[in-house]
Amino acid sequence: MSVNKKISDDNNKVEISVTGRFDFSLHQHFRDSYTSCKGKNVDFVLNLSETTYMDSSALGMILLLKDHAESCSGKVVISKPSESVNKILEIAQFHRLLTIEK
Amino acid sequence: MAASLRERDVKLALVVDDSAMQCKVLSVLLKEEGYRVFTANDGARGVAMYIKYSPDLVLMDINMPIMNGYEAARKIKSLSQDNSLCPLIFITSMDSDKAFIESIDAGGDGILVRPFSPEVFKAKIKSIQRISDLYAQVKTLQQEQQNDAELAEQLMSGVIEARNFAIDRIGIIKKAAELFSGDIQLTALAPNGDINAMLGDFTGHGLRSSIGAIPLAETFRTMTKKGFSLFEIINQINHQLYDLLPTDLFLGAGFASISSHDGSVYLFNAGLPDVYLFSDKGVIKHKTSSSHPPLGVLPKLLPDSKLTVVGIEETDRVVLISDGIVEARNEQGEMFDFDRFEESVKQGILEKNVSGVVLQSVDDFCQKMPQEDDISLIDIPCGGWEQAIVTNQGVENFSAQQLNDISLSTESAWHWQLTLSGSRLAAINPIPMAMSQINEIEGNAEHWQSLYTILTELFVNALDHGVLGLSSELKGSAEGFSQYYLERERRLKNLIDGSVELQISHYPFPNGGRIIIKIKDSGQGFDIKKYFQNKAEKSDEASMLSGRGIVLVEQLCDSLDFQGNGNIVEVSYVWTI
Repeated sequence: MSVNKKISDDNNKVEISVTGRFDFSLHQHFRDSYTSCKGKNVDFVLNLSETTYMDSSALGMILLLKDHAESCSGKVVISKPSESVNKILEIAQFHRLLTIEK
Repeated sequence: MAASLRERDVKLALVVDDSAMQCKVLSVLLKEEGYRVFTANDGARGVAMYIKYSPDLVLMDINMPIMNGYEAARKIKSLSQDNSLCPLIFITSMDSDKAFIESIDAGGDGILVRPFSPEVFKAKIKSIQRISDLYAQVKTLQQEQQNDAELAEQLMSGVIEARNFAIDRIGIIKKAAELFSGDIQLTALAPNGDINAMLGDFTGHGLRSSIGAIPLAETFRTMTKKGFSLFEIINQINHQLYDLLPTDLFLGAGFASISSHDGSVYLFNAGLPDVYLFSDKGVIKHKTSSSHPPLGVLPKLLPDSKLTVVGIEETDRVVLISDGIVEARNEQGEMFDFDRFEESVKQGILEKNVSGVVLQSVDDFCQKMPQEDDISLIDIPCGGWEQAIVTNQGVENFSAQQLNDISLSTESAWHWQLTLSGSRLAAINPIPMAMSQINEIEGNAEHWQSLYTILTELFVNALDHGVLGLSSELKGSAEGFSQYYLERERRLKNLIDGSVELQISHYPFPNGGRIIIKIKDSGQGFDIKKYFQNKAEKSDEASMLSGRGIVLVEQLCDSLDFQGNGNIVEVSYVWTI
């Protein structure tokens, strides 16, 4: 499992991808991936296409990312969640809190 | 704290060396550092001395007769697995990589190669003692933490599980992945005899995830006891958790409110696996999927949130679970999943032991795999709750004449009145307010439970049938049932005029009192004459018309009277101590 970050050339878009299990053990890595991105209107894309499993602490970590994005007037988009991850997002009704692009 | 780390004022050192000369030299140096020193001349004797004195430091030669230094070190290290690290340093003249590696392998904490100056020796002792002190500190803290956690867990389960309602009839599985479970199961009895149950799953597990449990349990119990509706309770819990908990901590929760006398269950699912309604044959009659993000995420419930209402039979069962059961894995990495879960519940219903059978199935499936998440379930029977309501026996002790005398001869001690109209009528539940008035003036008592039921039934009748003009005949079929509630919701939303007036008067007498409740609605009323005619003939029509609610009220009151066009109802409720 790992967290990777890609910043667009114009610095306005940060793509974070999580590979493998997304759980509490990634807490620090996940946080580190976005805390330094503090510009105005930065949008965060959370790519979960390679995520095999996600637990409730991961949902909590996504909410923290959302807080961070909103504090710099940006937003969070969850992109291409894998089937098992999508099931968890659905149970938590996360589509009512942020955009999920399938 | 420092005292327990340093129970002895003088530190003890053990020197194990077959050369008496070496023993002497090291002893002198150690004494200069404030140690009391014991010596042994071979490994076996060293181990014996270690057991006898449990020293704070061991210096060990490697090549010795009977038992060499490595073997003695292994023995000593295997003996010192308690709270203290007894540092062991090898003293040798073998300056080789092999000696160094073997020393550490044997459990040594360091190696000192001769020759060395007294200063180097003392520096080494100091450094190793520093590490040993740190180790002892960590061990003590760990022990304290464990003690605190155990105490907190005891308190928590005392506050939470011990105070749950009807634990003899409601099946609960609670199997925590750690000392603390992030899952919480609550059951409580509402004043009208409804059973409220909640299964919650806080983010993560361990102590961190259970801090929200106590305020949650308090809110759930207090509000249920005061007679707030399930929706109001959920709303309050969400708000409270949002205020209390950090962003990444929240509660997936399923709620059920079983109303036996109304023949219905109200369900809400915010972030849990489906909530089930099973028949007595184990057939799934209904599933409520999550329709809301977990509680504590949003400051307010989403505007379109609502409870699901389902008609129930007495023999049905409501089953709530957290994801721990369905996600439990076996050695092959397969999940227990929903099919196996549903099958095990079916089996459990047939064997009349749902929690036992489900838990056994999960255990059989997982074998010896370590449990990753908290496993929990609540299984509630839908029937047999009638005895939970205190029926009114006070009135039987009085003749009709006596009762009349009481109400005629006594002034009311107090009178409380509230009129709700329009949008306020649609939004506000006046019953908890009324009950809190009564509790504040007359004190909290068991017999107010019946009063709560009476007030609720009469108010709901006045609102549903009087103001909203809904016909209870709709509720006769399963289809009509949900239609009724949809229609009710629609009419409530569009409610502009219309009002309900609530009056309560209390006439106390020695060892009891009489409460007169009068409720007036702005509706059309109904044909009272026809109602009583039907009732007198005890025709089926009459029981249809009166509905289950009124039958219940009649059982609880000593008189019930319709006035006006049938838009006014007055009941008298007598209580005695």
